[in-house]
Amino acid sequence: MKRTVIETNHLVKTYRRYKKKEGIRGSLTGLWKREYEEKTAISQIDLSISEGEFIGLIGPNGAGKTTLIKMLTGIIAPTQGHLDVLGYYPNDLKNEFKKQYAVVMGQKSQLFFELTLNDTLRLFKEIYEISEEDFQKNKNYFVKLFGVEDLMDVQVRTLSLGERMKMELIAALLHNPKILFLDEPTIGLDAVASKQIRKFLKEINQKNGTTIILTSHYMEDIKALCKRTVVVNHGSKIYDGETQELFNRYQKNKKIIVTFDEQDMDITLKTPNAVLLENTLHKKIYKVSKRSAKDLLAELMEYDTKDIAVEEEEIGVIVERIYQEGSACHA
Amino acid sequence: MRKYLEVSKTYMKTQLVWRADVLFNMIFTISKILFAYLLWGMVFQNKETVGQFTFHSMLSYYIISSFLSQLDMSEGISREIHDRIRNGTFSKYLVIPVSVEKYFAAMEFGIAAFYSVFDFLAAIIWILIFRIRFVFSTDIRVILCALIITALGMLFMVQLNFYLGLLTLKYQGIGTFLMIKNNLAALITGTIIPLALFPDAIVKVMQLLPFYYVTYLPAMLLTGMYQNEAAAGVAVIAVWCLAMQFVITVTWKKYLRKYDGVGI
Repeated sequence: MKRTVIETNHLVKTYRRYKKKEGIRGSLTGLWKREYEEKTAISQIDLSISEGEFIGLIGPNGAGKTTLIKMLTGIIAPTQGHLDVLGYYPNDLKNEFKKQYAVVMGQKSQLFFELTLNDTLRLFKEIYEISEEDFQKNKNYFVKLFGVEDLMDVQVRTLSLGERMKMELIAALLHNPKILFLDEPTIGLDAVASKQIRKFLKEINQKNGTTIILTSHYMEDIKALCKRTVVVNHGSKIYDGETQELFNRYQKNKKIIVTFDEQDMDITLKTPNAVLLENTLHKKIYKVSKRSAKDLLAELMEYDTKDIAVEEEEIGVIVERIYQEGSACHA
Repeated sequence: MRKYLEVSKTYMKTQLVWRADVLFNMIFTISKILFAYLLWGMVFQNKETVGQFTFHSMLSYYIISSFLSQLDMSEGISREIHDRIRNGTFSKYLVIPVSVEKYFAAMEFGIAAFYSVFDFLAAIIWILIFRIRFVFSTDIRVILCALIITALGMLFMVQLNFYLGLLTLKYQGIGTFLMIKNNLAALITGTIIPLALFPDAIVKVMQLLPFYYVTYLPAMLLTGMYQNEAAAGVAVIAVWCLAMQFVITVTWKKYLRKYDGVGI
């Protein structure tokens, strides 16, 4: 049986925030009399994660995903509840604990933009007290895996977003963390770069046994990588189970985007349940049930189309559906 | 210890990237000495001494004090902490296995060590150009005390700026605190006017404050003055450092819980 690396019971995080009244008068009143309100960011979350798992953490904006990651990494302290990560209480911020995990945030950087990755890795070697032998071994492994041999002596600020994300991952993985927290690692990346990052993450999880907790707005990331998914909304866990089941059960529709060279193409469809969502001069967007998607595609192919793209339903829609269909049995 | 040495080296390397900054810093040091040369040249035109200073001991004081004051770049610490707490990226320092305070001290050391080389060169050039008869203490004990006071003074400034940065966890902005600190420091460090020219009673009050020991006393000691204050100076600034460390420890424990890392 695999060791539990993350355990939370009845985890709660509340913030106190200042409610300012509108206008100059409200600002002046706020100088001596302030009203505060409590905002619950995380509510009674129970979570148990085993060594080597690859978990997707999804939910709409403001659901509490990032707050949860911040608590698991010790950046913020929980208001209530039990929290244990690798045998530590994260907010004690012990160095022995920090040496065992890494966190990568899509929009924030640990790199020195003026310097090269080689310089930053040298600093990380000392910070994480990695032996020269392990440092060389890990560096060579990741540099080869990510295919960035030519970029090691280039100033980080001159790199593209995709290249920089690879560098962030190398810096984060250099000390062989037991847990890797990833917050939107593919945000802003093009399809090719996202696919590459997904491939690397899969390899790191499978070969090194690194436990990975991934938050992403992209369904592709979650589907391709995570066997298990936790869905949070309004600070509460509303689903915790197999990713496949989540999508089979709650992702009921697909979005089909068709573009044409010809203007105002006249289309009559026979596929049941196909709903036209958007109709512009050269583009039509349909929503169709997963079951009928194949039929609709076949039908559309009969027309003179320029391009056809199929998109998954967004996370927000899935969350809404889990709510509507009842969540008690999954959470 | 090695990790903090590497932090210093890394920040030294980042300074090397910005060539214009290095150049302007040197120009600033030179312009301060030039300004002092012109100003005190006029003051000393009809006099041999002002207070305890001759023209050359005054310029020696200026060169040393401007060199020491250029070394203190700790204000960047409070700004960095303030900005990162405000935009939610202070977590960058919380997730790596370092003491955040030591990290900032090492950062300051790296930057200061880098600039000290250029500031030292600028000072030497001006001593040679203006043929200043440089006045320097010959007492090893005093020189040693001056160096210890300088190191502790720099440490105190790092601690103070770190503490002021942490106040962002409690207050929206720390601009007012920084302004008060800067005005006090500008006056009491003696980089504008040597404190020896102030009335005794005011100097006595200033001697109680740590800023007196940051630039002023070491500069005076190194130019061969106030030698009897050397040992006491080490003790006073050391007590200030210990007191500041206590305040930081309490503040860190108390206020870090307020950090919400908005935007992570």
